[in-house]
Amino acid sequence: MTTTPKKGFIAFIMDCTRWSFTGGIAYMIYLLVLLALIVSGIYAYSQQFQHGLIITGMSDIVSWGLYISNFTFFVGVAAAAVMLILPAYILKDKDLHQVVIIGEGVAVGALVMCLLFITVDMGGPLKVWHMIPGIGQFNWPSSILTWDMLVLNGYLALNSLVPLYILYCNYHGRKPVGWKYKPFVFLSIFWAVSIHMTTAFLYQGLPARPFWNNPLLGPRFLASAFAAGPAVIMMVLIVIKENTDYAIDSNIFQKLKRIIVASAIINLVMLFSEVFKEFYTFTHHSLSAQYLFFGLEGHDSLVPWIWTAISLNILGTLLFAFDPTKGKPRYLMVAAISLFTGIWIEKGFGLIIPGFVPSPLGEVVDYTPSILEIQVTVGILAAGAFVVTMLIKPALAIEMRLREKASM
Amino acid sequence: MDSRTNNEDQIETEGMADNKSSRRQFLKKMSIAAAAGSASLVVGGCGGSLKTEEMGLKWEEYFKEHYRLMTQEEKDATVKRLERLAKLERGIDVQMSNQEPHEQVLYGYAFNISRCKGYMDCVEACVKENNLDRRAKTQYVRIFEMDPGKLDPTAGDGQFFHEVPVDNKFYMGVQCFHCENAPCIKACPTKATWREPDGIVVVDYDWCIGCRYCLAACPYWGRRFNWGDPEVPKEEINLNQHYLGNRMRMKGVMEKCTFCVQRTRKGKLPACADACPTGSRVFGNLLDPNSEIRFVLKNKKVFRFKEDLGTEPKFWYFMD
Amino acid sequence: MALAAVVLVDQSAVASGAAGAESVTDRINHATEPYDSMRVSTAYELSVKTVQSKEQYQGGDFKVLARKDQISRFRCSVCHNDKPVLIQNGALFTHGDVKLNHGLGNNQLTCNECHSMGNRDFLVDKEGQKIDFDHSYQLCGKCHFRQKRDWLGGAHGKREAYWAGERVVRNCTSCHNPHSPAFATKMPATYSLPLDE
Repeated sequence: MTTTPKKGFIAFIMDCTRWSFTGGIAYMIYLLVLLALIVSGIYAYSQQFQHGLIITGMSDIVSWGLYISNFTFFVGVAAAAVMLILPAYILKDKDLHQVVIIGEGVAVGALVMCLLFITVDMGGPLKVWHMIPGIGQFNWPSSILTWDMLVLNGYLALNSLVPLYILYCNYHGRKPVGWKYKPFVFLSIFWAVSIHMTTAFLYQGLPARPFWNNPLLGPRFLASAFAAGPAVIMMVLIVIKENTDYAIDSNIFQKLKRIIVASAIINLVMLFSEVFKEFYTFTHHSLSAQYLFFGLEGHDSLVPWIWTAISLNILGTLLFAFDPTKGKPRYLMVAAISLFTGIWIEKGFGLIIPGFVPSPLGEVVDYTPSILEIQVTVGILAAGAFVVTMLIKPALAIEMRLREKASM
Repeated sequence: MDSRTNNEDQIETEGMADNKSSRRQFLKKMSIAAAAGSASLVVGGCGGSLKTEEMGLKWEEYFKEHYRLMTQEEKDATVKRLERLAKLERGIDVQMSNQEPHEQVLYGYAFNISRCKGYMDCVEACVKENNLDRRAKTQYVRIFEMDPGKLDPTAGDGQFFHEVPVDNKFYMGVQCFHCENAPCIKACPTKATWREPDGIVVVDYDWCIGCRYCLAACPYWGRRFNWGDPEVPKEEINLNQHYLGNRMRMKGVMEKCTFCVQRTRKGKLPACADACPTGSRVFGNLLDPNSEIRFVLKNKKVFRFKEDLGTEPKFWYFMD
Repeated sequence: MALAAVVLVDQSAVASGAAGAESVTDRINHATEPYDSMRVSTAYELSVKTVQSKEQYQGGDFKVLARKDQISRFRCSVCHNDKPVLIQNGALFTHGDVKLNHGLGNNQLTCNECHSMGNRDFLVDKEGQKIDFDHSYQLCGKCHFRQKRDWLGGAHGKREAYWAGERVVRNCTSCHNPHSPAFATKMPATYSLPLDE
């Protein structure tokens, strides 16, 4: 093909957009639902922008709520793309190589969600330029938040530019040039670990919050991310397999399953370690864990949530570990949803809220998110799903075209 | 003796001043454009000229740089703009100061837990002095009613409202302790909170982006966040303000006790110490060996709250 | 590079922990030169009447709030003298409004343990030495010597309005009613919100 680069790029974008918005009636309804949720989220955020964060359920005691909880969880999902990239590129696994692009799409969607969650959580989002080094003040290396900003944006760049390059080459039927992207892929493997450790260090480094201030938090984040993230990827793959012509080998599901089981078991071991430390010798520092698991001074709003979460976590792990159906997609979907939901609760608000209760002065309050807060959260989740869809649908179209050409 | 720490403070500021000239030029261009734009709007007379003046001032305020890097003229200019904005928005005549810290001064505080009777005059005085949000009932100072046997405010009751003092109970007050090794300063991503050379930890409300990481980092619950726009009845607004202290805040920014910077830099006691009817609060210059605070530290058995965290607070408790 | 980032995190954590190494206590102990707080120029406008204290504190001389101008019927010798006095409102004038509750249980003080019988314009101590009302701390401190020592140094009582400038402190009776010194029980000035509303 002798298209000039610029023309080729515009054609690439136009084709991708076309592919994103074509599909069956179910697909159209799905997109409309997402757009409706996004619009409702934007409306709710406009209320928040006008009146301030007072419209949420947060207070000076529980000062981070649903927004930061979801941010914490979805950074893990984003980091989990490495669990596909590592076997694909370092271990040269051909099966997983086929689905790496989908993993990266999920990672980009999760990262977009994370950045949106941070933005809606800020009291003064218009002042975010105060953080830009050079024109603002960037408190690096003191503040872990600055580290987080660097690694998240870097990871977003890595995970969007590399697949963009590969897809662009595939779109034109060219093979991507190895030295142009492979170094960045290897970089992204280490970078994925660092984004999640850095996010964990945000909490781990605060001696004011003994519930978080333990050395296991970082590794625990990695373990739960590598269980929940591939579960999300598996869910996406199952949807693709059931609803499109894109061929996905069942080997891939088996390999993903193994990764998930290993990570989920490590996660449960770490959970047991934390529970032991908190409850074997009950100290003043264990009050947060008591609040979470059993309630404190009559405040017990999180108790049903955490026990549900742990049950779903264990159920999901067992379902994945002892799979009698040998990889049937419906079964794997149930297992993935169970594990994902359990970890989402436990690592999201099951981690953030108890860190604040009791307050450093010993005061105990409950936190209930407001309707508007939930609306904004759901809107951002829908936006993430939308981004993932917009990225993966054209990617699949390009890959299928490539495979057809290869088989001709 | 404390020249070393002064140098450290200076070096921190100098480190911040890297690329100062390019940033200063960029911001200067923005604010010149802003001023020109707002001036032309006023001259052009589109819309009410007061409204455009207000918008022009807000525009300039939005693009100003970090307070610690401003020259004295820029600091004076921002104070003037804020005074004018207060007049335009609320119809009040504010005297805002940007008084610098005194040299050879390091503020310290001591609280006598044998004397406090739980009257909470300090809490109320602070609310009035510092223009705290009446709707959210923000209070920088908290008093805890304690049972004997524990010296830990977390075991106390912070929500008492009955006749005090109750027999066989004692009272402990907490507020921001202005730590020398403050975790909140370390946590802030934009350096919107810092420790002044005279020891008080302050917040530049215009620079704060409202991420609330400092609130999570403080082990003493010393900081407050403006979840909504703070409301103070107009007749109760304290018009003697300081840029780093009790000027009117806006939604989405952090605030905290500043040891009443608008009073203490003029040599006055903070409002809480001045209001206490039992004399339980001692305030003074830690670097003056003849001060009352030094007498307390030397002659009384003192302790600090959560001392094992290494935050080096400058607020001690003592007993008779 | 990301590995280096992880390493840097560790380094910065160590570094920032070591910075600010001089603790507050060390810094205070190194500060031995007296501070001339008169240089805080705004700290001097006090409109109250003061007297120079007859005792010194660690920083030298200081002033005490006067008391005599607060006592409504001083000079006492206007009534308490040799001449007969016609009295209207006798109950009021015979100090019926004074409730005496100074001491524990049965060990209550009586009027003439502090007030001089010979010259009602003065207080008196156990040795019969006359003490001026403006310097009542000299009398109170005979029994309450620990509080007096603390009051001189600044750990008891209260400094008037300023931490800088000339030191003006409240006298004992500024806060304590000498006849019934214990602080009254009353409702607090305000309350703190339940925080999950």
